[in-house]
Amino acid sequence: MSAPSLILGVPSKGRLQENTFSFFARAGLPLAQARGARDYRGVIEGLDGVEVAFLSASEIAGELARGAIHFGVTGEDLLAESIPDRETKVVMLTPLGFGHANVVVAVPEAWIDVRTMADLEDVAAAFHARHHRRMRVATKYITLTRQHFARHKVSDYRIVESLGATEGAPAAGSAELIVDITTTGATLAANGLKVLDDGVMLKSEANLVASAGAPWSDAAREAARRILKSISAEETARKMREVKARLDALPPADLLARLGANLPFGAGSGETILHCPTGKVGDLCDWLTRNGAPVVTVSTLSYVFKAENPLYERLASRIG
Amino acid sequence: MPLSRQTAEAELLALFQRNGFSPSQVPILQPAEPFIELSGEDIRRRLFLVSDAGEGETCLRPEFTIPAARAHIAAHAVPAVAAYAFAGPVFRQRAEGPGEFIQAGLESFGRSDIEAADAEMLALAIEAEALLGGEALTIRIGDVGLAAALIESLALPPAVARRLRQHGMTPAAGEKPRASGLAAYQGVLNALKGADPAEARAFVKDLLSIAGLKAVGGRTPGEIADRFLEKASEESSGISAEQGAILARFLAISGDPDTVAAEARALAASAGLTLDAAIDRFETRTGFMAARGIDLGRLEASIAFTRNLDYYSGFIFEFVARTGERPAIAGGRYDGLFKRLGAGTEIPAVGCAIWLERFGGVA
Repeated sequence: MSAPSLILGVPSKGRLQENTFSFFARAGLPLAQARGARDYRGVIEGLDGVEVAFLSASEIAGELARGAIHFGVTGEDLLAESIPDRETKVVMLTPLGFGHANVVVAVPEAWIDVRTMADLEDVAAAFHARHHRRMRVATKYITLTRQHFARHKVSDYRIVESLGATEGAPAAGSAELIVDITTTGATLAANGLKVLDDGVMLKSEANLVASAGAPWSDAAREAARRILKSISAEETARKMREVKARLDALPPADLLARLGANLPFGAGSGETILHCPTGKVGDLCDWLTRNGAPVVTVSTLSYVFKAENPLYERLASRIG
Repeated sequence: MPLSRQTAEAELLALFQRNGFSPSQVPILQPAEPFIELSGEDIRRRLFLVSDAGEGETCLRPEFTIPAARAHIAAHAVPAVAAYAFAGPVFRQRAEGPGEFIQAGLESFGRSDIEAADAEMLALAIEAEALLGGEALTIRIGDVGLAAALIESLALPPAVARRLRQHGMTPAAGEKPRASGLAAYQGVLNALKGADPAEARAFVKDLLSIAGLKAVGGRTPGEIADRFLEKASEESSGISAEQGAILARFLAISGDPDTVAAEARALAASAGLTLDAAIDRFETRTGFMAARGIDLGRLEASIAFTRNLDYYSGFIFEFVARTGERPAIAGGRYDGLFKRLGAGTEIPAVGCAIWLERFGGVA
């Protein structure tokens, strides 16, 4: 195999990996993992020149920042935590609709006098004065914690770096409170912790991210353009339905604008094809049947490819 | 002709040695813990942390004071008087400029003639300024001890007092606290107003045990009860209009040191506050400054000039080229430092740091 022109970082395990595989498969870009010695490498079937690198989600964030991979799938939490000047280093291309989780400040439920960050500021200062040491916050999100606490003027605390089972730290006595990522809050509750009312620091989800500093050769750009076009095509198709009817007159432009529908192929002779957002299909069909269409059919779309490629345009504007 | 950096370092150390400060060294590699514990998490992003095989984190020294104080504790089992001078590289991550830069520092530990030691420190800083050359700097002075006495005598709600101590003496710090979640318990707070602390503690303990909650996280039910009581006693949960007006008038006092002392004394008398001891110390210090030949007209004193009161405890000063710029020299008194670093007793300490790169006269 010749040297790849574009490297795509994909999570190496767990639900994040499964969801990433299905996302790319839906977009017509099925990922395949090599077997044997090179099983940490993979390809996109049917698209030459792309190498898939299986890495941990936090490694993906780091490699994007360094420019060692072109594209990567990773969480906003890890990007925000590990890349200080995120806007210059990476381009957020599109949220992927999975991997939803919040980075939150959680304190012991027994702290019935602490419900907001303002309470925490107050209590942290009193704790420092009373115990002659700072309150300890167990977390792996050192940067995010520092930023959020500074914004809320909480200064009397120490970070205790925690790389696993952070939610157990208060019960174990190694910290007073924690900053951690949570999807449902169930683990926090099981550990006797509660999230502060204004303690959600970041709502995170998995994103397709490009590195601004990777070597963007012509071949890499071409591969990026193809990948992003397919992703756009699937994304548009997923949100729209195809509506077909034989019409005497086209629906008025203001109706189409109101529904967000369009005529992808213009006015045809015979049947007319419309694309309409899923939620507005009922409205459109109602209008069509009241205005002369004896039959209307609605079907799902697999892909809607368009000449324009807004995702790629956004990337191109950043990598020059 | 500008001084070379090496010449500036050598001449500063010679000046300090002539004045009884021994040129000293501290290791560049330092445990990170004391810096973070004393300055808070915010300093972590400025430290150069280095990996080390042992427990705990190591950093490149970001300044001289804490290493000097730790070395002093290690060298002297009983409190001793000592004066140290330092010059050399210190390391801080900065948005602009290199992370390694040259600092000179003075530390005077253990002197009980507090105000005389304060005046000496400022006098030496002025001599260092003259030696390093460059444009004339503005010298601002303040007194954190006086600010603390003012907060104390105003009898402010504890939370407001804490904010003023921590975030500086600004009228904004005295404003109504931001939304506490306890507002949801206004009825309970009203009921607790003036309650017996022992009863309130027992009540909170019972509440927590009914809910099956263990007081994890290092705070006892007693602490939680105390906070309810504290909140209940903060009637308007803020500063009264009268207290706010007095505070604002104090914070507006500025000028040469004699004017500031006189105005503060007059205002304290009219407001019925006992600040005499603190103002006496301020004036004693001014007397020692005049005796050392410092031009008092050069000093811009103000009540509002303070720093974090957890660290500083008395006289503070800084030399700045223009308002808003980083100081070229900054110093002050930190009598609480030694205890915070684990010394058995409080040891008086005053010192200053000089950033050589901020002097136009140093190449």
